[in-house]
Amino acid sequence: MARELKEILTLGTKGSARRAAAAHASRLAGPLSGLYLSQLIPALLLVVIGVITIWSASISIPEANFVSHLAGIAIGLVAAVLVWRYDMRALSSMTTVLFVLACILMVLPRIPGLGYEVNGMMGWVRLGPVRFQPSEPSKIVVIFLMASAAAQYNGKIETFRDYARLCGTLLVPLLLIMTLDLGTGLVIFFIGATIIIVSGAPRTWVLLTIALIVGVAALVIITSMIDGLPHILKEYQLNRLIVFVDPDVDPTNNGYNLTQAMIAVGSGGFFGKGFGNATQALNGFVPEAQTDFVFSLFAEQFGFVGSLVLLSLFTWMIVSTVLLAMKTESMYMRLILVGCVGMWTFQVLENVGMCLGIMPITGIPLPFVSYGSSSMVVQLVSVGIVQSVWRHRQKAA
Amino acid sequence: MDFSIVIVVVCLVLAVALVVIYLVFGRSEANFTMDIGGAAPKAAGGSDSSSEKTTSSRLVGLLVGVGAVFSVLVARLWSMQLVSSEEYAEQAERNRRSTIYTQAPRGRILDRKGREIVTNRASLTVVADGAVVDDLIEVQLLGNLIGMPAQAVRRRLQDTTEGYQSPRMVSVDVSRRVVAFIGEHPDVFPGVSVQERTQRSYPHGSLAAHVVGYVGTVSQEQLEASGSGEDGTPEYRSGDVVGQSGVELSYESVLAGVRGEQTVFVDAHGDVLGYSTNIDPVPGSDVVLTLDIDIQAAAEESLARIVEQRRSAGADCPGGSVVAIDCTNGEVIAMASYPTFSPNVFTGGIAQSDWDVLSAEDSHYPLLNRAISGQYAAGSVIKPLTSFAALNYGIATPDSSWYCSGWWSWSGKSQGDTIMKCWQESGHGAIGLSSGITYSCDVVFYEIGKGFYNSENPEGMQETFRAYGLGSKTGIDLNGEEAGVIPDAAWKREHYKALGYSDEDSTWRGGDNCNISIGQGDVQVTCLQMAQSYCSIANRGPAWKPHVLKGVRAKVGESFVSEYRPEQVFSVEESDSFREVIERGMWGVTYEESESQASHWTNMSISVSSKTGTGEQIGPGRNICWFGCFAPSENPKYVVFSNVDGGDWGATTAMLVVRDTLGAIYGEPDNSDAVYAAGD
Repeated sequence: MARELKEILTLGTKGSARRAAAAHASRLAGPLSGLYLSQLIPALLLVVIGVITIWSASISIPEANFVSHLAGIAIGLVAAVLVWRYDMRALSSMTTVLFVLACILMVLPRIPGLGYEVNGMMGWVRLGPVRFQPSEPSKIVVIFLMASAAAQYNGKIETFRDYARLCGTLLVPLLLIMTLDLGTGLVIFFIGATIIIVSGAPRTWVLLTIALIVGVAALVIITSMIDGLPHILKEYQLNRLIVFVDPDVDPTNNGYNLTQAMIAVGSGGFFGKGFGNATQALNGFVPEAQTDFVFSLFAEQFGFVGSLVLLSLFTWMIVSTVLLAMKTESMYMRLILVGCVGMWTFQVLENVGMCLGIMPITGIPLPFVSYGSSSMVVQLVSVGIVQSVWRHRQKAA
Repeated sequence: MDFSIVIVVVCLVLAVALVVIYLVFGRSEANFTMDIGGAAPKAAGGSDSSSEKTTSSRLVGLLVGVGAVFSVLVARLWSMQLVSSEEYAEQAERNRRSTIYTQAPRGRILDRKGREIVTNRASLTVVADGAVVDDLIEVQLLGNLIGMPAQAVRRRLQDTTEGYQSPRMVSVDVSRRVVAFIGEHPDVFPGVSVQERTQRSYPHGSLAAHVVGYVGTVSQEQLEASGSGEDGTPEYRSGDVVGQSGVELSYESVLAGVRGEQTVFVDAHGDVLGYSTNIDPVPGSDVVLTLDIDIQAAAEESLARIVEQRRSAGADCPGGSVVAIDCTNGEVIAMASYPTFSPNVFTGGIAQSDWDVLSAEDSHYPLLNRAISGQYAAGSVIKPLTSFAALNYGIATPDSSWYCSGWWSWSGKSQGDTIMKCWQESGHGAIGLSSGITYSCDVVFYEIGKGFYNSENPEGMQETFRAYGLGSKTGIDLNGEEAGVIPDAAWKREHYKALGYSDEDSTWRGGDNCNISIGQGDVQVTCLQMAQSYCSIANRGPAWKPHVLKGVRAKVGESFVSEYRPEQVFSVEESDSFREVIERGMWGVTYEESESQASHWTNMSISVSSKTGTGEQIGPGRNICWFGCFAPSENPKYVVFSNVDGGDWGATTAMLVVRDTLGAIYGEPDNSDAVYAAGD
């Protein structure tokens, strides 16, 4: 352990000389060899972008506490280092434990005395002085759970029983969280679906499942719109869907929020209005500009150029993770990487797409950028996971 | 809510079941996988070792999916931040800017000598931040202090017509006690302050109320018409106080000024973050009228006294009017209508009870300016015009003579024909045209009417009346003027047919000619029209457009930035020999018709030419009494005209009003108390 610590501390000082070493020996070749820089650098740059953005938010949004944001990053970095050092293969046979853990996390906010509401949103848990959203760590738990459940088929799911069991493993925590927090539920669904599909589920079954999901979703929406039938979607959720289709229906609440967020993005123009000049996002027209609508805040200040940089960094990070997955031989490790890719891709799509009016409004943070310690820690841990896969890749063979 | 608990319970049961499956069959699961691996060949196609291939190709698919997601996002960003950026930027600007409006003080309205008729006074106004509305206790306390229901205070606080960031007006004209209390207890009334604002003020009360008019909150129609630039009025905002009648309306664009606009930057809650451009309000310009408040006051007082005398005598006397015009340029020196009103009741919004009184029938419509809007039968005051018509069309000559026996019929026979009486039933005997005017002999004019009917120019009278401006508006710079009616054959046919009369009853007859020759029948004129026609007689031709505006004052000093340029609207050519006949007749009315009448005029240093009139109004069944004159007779300067609806004789009502008005002009009050017994 001491040697590894030394490796971190001497980062970059004597790396280049041994760069030419053979691939299988790369871990020994230099201090940087334990780090997958293609994923680490864009991730850290995104954190820097987040720091700048939240700094601007802290000017006029009292809820955005800059120090607390930095504290979240610090905790997250420590956690990431710990994860990086840990060889996760130990978790590959712990499907049952992970499943129970996932279910517990999902049910935690419903336990009286523990769960409480923030801004009318359920899903928070208070343990002594610590307040967090268990839905955030549950994303990581689900990545491990689904990876360990799917890896045992070794890339080939051939019976419907196996496919159904995988789906069932995903469905239970999914339904538990969806009734509480639709946004996180969607993230978990995408993580699970990406892992199941990549792990080799037959195409026809996947297509049938998608058709089934679409049907059920349509049924849920329709019953929620008709009086007398059970309203599974809450009223605000239904409203968000309606304003997504037509923002003018409700220009004072959800439709207003969406319209204002889009004005913020569009008025940013090519170069943006400059740091701290977000007249829309920083003067209260865009709600939750430090969390759910953080992209509006960023895009208004830094314009198309800044947005392009932001999206490029995400692309860089995600593509390098997929490339790492391709090179990783262990199915379990590979699926873990795939789970992270699914999580990031969907969260970026949803958070950015929502501000651009091409996705319905949900409360999903933008990874590495949004204000909120739970999310920041979990995202940095996911970086640690990717780095750990890189670091322990030889053993995976 | 219940439903989601059901889902949770079902999920938990499922979870337990799955855990049991994992624990019980967990091991065999792994073996099972092994078995499948061993039995691989049973799969068709032989692509058995493709597990690595499958996941790799799926990873490529994943890359494609990720690429698609980011391409969509970038494409959308492109369209929003580059293509439509300006629209969004415009909306963002609209969001962050807000405007606070300040009402500009209206210009004053002055008389011809620069004395104030309408001005502005400082009014102590309680204003409050919009946020005060959330403090129920403060609203209640404020209501108690001012003496307003809390609900009314709340409604005022929610009124954002002056801009969202403007302080809301709670109450105008509050007492010193309220001001002092608010000043001493700032802790009780946070956000509440007292401002000095301006309100319309009328130092002479209701003086010239019909001319100056009144102001009120802008109406929906005015709002919609404003800003189109058609009538030159400024663009209004809801809640603006604008002219609603009289000079306040006619010269609104001059009086209104330009409201101040302070642009501020605001956040989503409407809180001011910073200040941008500021345009100070431009006060309205002062308007100088042609009225003289001394003469106006004398005219109003006299008119009111005469009408009230008639009313206290038990007569049905709804009202009257008087107009004094400088016939050399059309300036209106005085214009009064009775009953009148106080424009003051309109400041700060008129109370419903006041409005009900002003618009009730039994208060005789005080808002109506009878001088320009009251249409009545002309009666004998039209006879000078009839005389001109007769002379021009050869129906009579200066030397013509008729015989008045006190009655008249078309055929001259007393049997089998409609008998029409002269007002003096004893008859005037042999009488010429000039005396016919002086003594107002109806028979003379019946003959003229008959003469026209039988002549080649059966409508010559109407043409003359129209040439003198009757039947059309004078074009005075006040709203609500009526055109009156000069009936002819075509008019009668159309009008009577529309009322449902038969063809026969709608045909023009000789009797109609006789009626209009003495200003009766369907003739309808306004006091101002008659005054204008007498201006033409007095000027020997030209008539100027009557007007009340003398000029608009410069912001500084007493000079005019623009002055009303008198406009000649018509000029009637008459031969001098004809004019002498009519002028002689009208001079005679003043000094020869009756001794009592003359006694009111011989006490003046100037000579006056005039005509009395008493028209019968068929509908209401009461007389409309007229008197019009020009003075001095030799070199006329003023035309004064008056009518009293419901008087007994012209000489007992309208003439006295005219005498008092002319007396005020020349500083020679009427000291005759002779009462005219019976005469016209």
